[in-house]
Amino acid sequence: MNPDALIGLAQASGFLVLASTGIGVFVGLLVGMIPGMTISTGIIVVLPATFVLPADISIALLLGLYVGGMTGGSFSAVLLNIPGTPSASATALDGFPMAARGEAGRALGIAITASFIGGLFSFLCLFFIAPLLADVALEFRTEDMFSLVFFGLTIICSFAAGSLIKGLLSAALGLALVTIGQDPVMGTQRFTFGQANLMAGVHFLTAMIGLFAIPQLVDNLMSNQTGRQAQAKLTSVLPRLSDLKAIRMPVFIGSMTGAFLGMLPGAGGPIAAFISYDGSRKVSKNPERFGQGCAEGVAAPESANNAVTGGALIPMMTLGIPGDPVTAILIGALMIHGLAPGPLLFMERGDFAYGVIFSFFWANIFNFIIAILGLRVLVKLLATPRALLMPTIAVLCVIGSYALRNNFFDVYVMLFFGFVGLAMRWLDMPVVPMLLALVLGGQLEEHLRVALIASKGDVSIFFESPISFTFLCLSVLSIVWSLKSNRNKIASHAKESNP
Amino acid sequence: MRRKNIIAAVVLIACAILYGVLTANLPTRTLPNTPGPSFFPWINTVIILALSAWLLVQALRQPAPAPAPAPTPTGTGRNRRAVWALAAFVGYLAVMPGLGFILATAPFFAVMMVLFGERRPMWVGGGAVGTTVLLYALFRYGFGVILPRGLLAGIVA
Repeated sequence: MNPDALIGLAQASGFLVLASTGIGVFVGLLVGMIPGMTISTGIIVVLPATFVLPADISIALLLGLYVGGMTGGSFSAVLLNIPGTPSASATALDGFPMAARGEAGRALGIAITASFIGGLFSFLCLFFIAPLLADVALEFRTEDMFSLVFFGLTIICSFAAGSLIKGLLSAALGLALVTIGQDPVMGTQRFTFGQANLMAGVHFLTAMIGLFAIPQLVDNLMSNQTGRQAQAKLTSVLPRLSDLKAIRMPVFIGSMTGAFLGMLPGAGGPIAAFISYDGSRKVSKNPERFGQGCAEGVAAPESANNAVTGGALIPMMTLGIPGDPVTAILIGALMIHGLAPGPLLFMERGDFAYGVIFSFFWANIFNFIIAILGLRVLVKLLATPRALLMPTIAVLCVIGSYALRNNFFDVYVMLFFGFVGLAMRWLDMPVVPMLLALVLGGQLEEHLRVALIASKGDVSIFFESPISFTFLCLSVLSIVWSLKSNRNKIASHAKESNP
Repeated sequence: MRRKNIIAAVVLIACAILYGVLTANLPTRTLPNTPGPSFFPWINTVIILALSAWLLVQALRQPAPAPAPAPTPTGTGRNRRAVWALAAFVGYLAVMPGLGFILATAPFFAVMMVLFGERRPMWVGGGAVGTTVLLYALFRYGFGVILPRGLLAGIVA
């Protein structure tokens, strides 16, 4: 084995790192299972702690939360028919009918086992593909990096938005916000209005807290959910041998779909879960049982959404391109500790990069153990009073923004983004493209301008390099495809309203 | 949806114009044949203007929708609660630098608990003070985050 991999394994297996992974998984399971709480909110809750903890412990905590959150979403989907996370929506289709039949324990056992296998499969993909991709990415020049980041942005917009224009507008606004502060090439101050606090620009973690947490608090106030108590009686949660046999194919389909779609920026858990659910139904000998409460219908989406996590870590670690808000936050957490994800991470800090990969492995192991052993306790916690939980999150948002730079100005920036998030929600504009533009915008501008400086202003540099040209073609394809599917959606909507 | 899209487009066009004006006033510091500090902001201005105009045209071409039903009393009550919560949050952030974390957080927490439906005074008081002190202790002593102490500067560490 690669010596860096061995050091990484040793780092990820240290007591404190393992304990942090376990805590992350537990918090993730809790957050994932509470309807109205997302994995992003869970990360906001633990974020202040990661500023002061060492990098390996922080990342282990966040990875544990990511993995646990994906599985936790299935608990409320099965028990309450309310998916804890969007990725668990497909799980409710068969999970809840099983619970209604008195098979809640069986359904949860299958969900946990499928999540475990999906997660391990994506770990293997991450372990074998990431170093190879990092080697390839080392050959990328500035113009290639610009086109790659541009492609990442276009694909994210097309996936994240119900309306492509609004998705692109959200990203464009994010790119405009990135220009606040020091210009990355010449160091000129831009749009700072003489405010010293703006010289370093808008920190995207502050923006993320505001964009996600404040609208969610308001949503929770308006939805009037009180935390329904799960009434289901849980019998044995370990899956039977016959169930394991039945879910082989759905788990295989889910793991493959999830790991592949996870690598595509923006595709994410919900899409992977529904595609694998549909795929498993198509290959099943008894497709009519899907939707009535069958084990395969629980296993396919659960393996898929957990396989997404490892897949999403591949572009994040090798190219520095986040696939979803959670990986964007992971990039932020790494940057706070002076580590920039990308091909150089494997070259300069190979031990750390492998440490992250093995922490992901441990997160999946802990996820299985904690979910199986602690299921009954976790289900009881599902009834945590919202009146205590939501104000705590509000206060943690303030602490998280403040602790980033020990500066109250960041708290006001968070509040500003909270109002921006509320306005965007009211206007049906997605916030994810804006967040990812805040993460990628600096790189986009820097690569664009450095490439143009190198070519003395000649834009043909982006078309002469085969890598850059390929990514630009893919970007155009992504936009055209989104426009087409958007038009089809509008046409079918018009047909439905005027039959 | 049509009305919201028109509002979004108009607001964004105004933002793009303002951004363009600010970009035009950026210092010009550039080398020959190379893009300066205003290069990227100009691209953003053009993109936001073009996309907003597209959204506006798309919205204007949509047929006018049927009038929406009047909001239910429950919906209005929930909206009012959300407005109160936001007002409390803004007030909380305004007073925190002066009062400090503990003195500002406890009443804010209590208000939020009430807005989230908790009515038992003992629970509200205990929850607000207990959670505030717990969070302060966790971050101050556990993670070393120096939260604002305000009026309690001489009393708490």
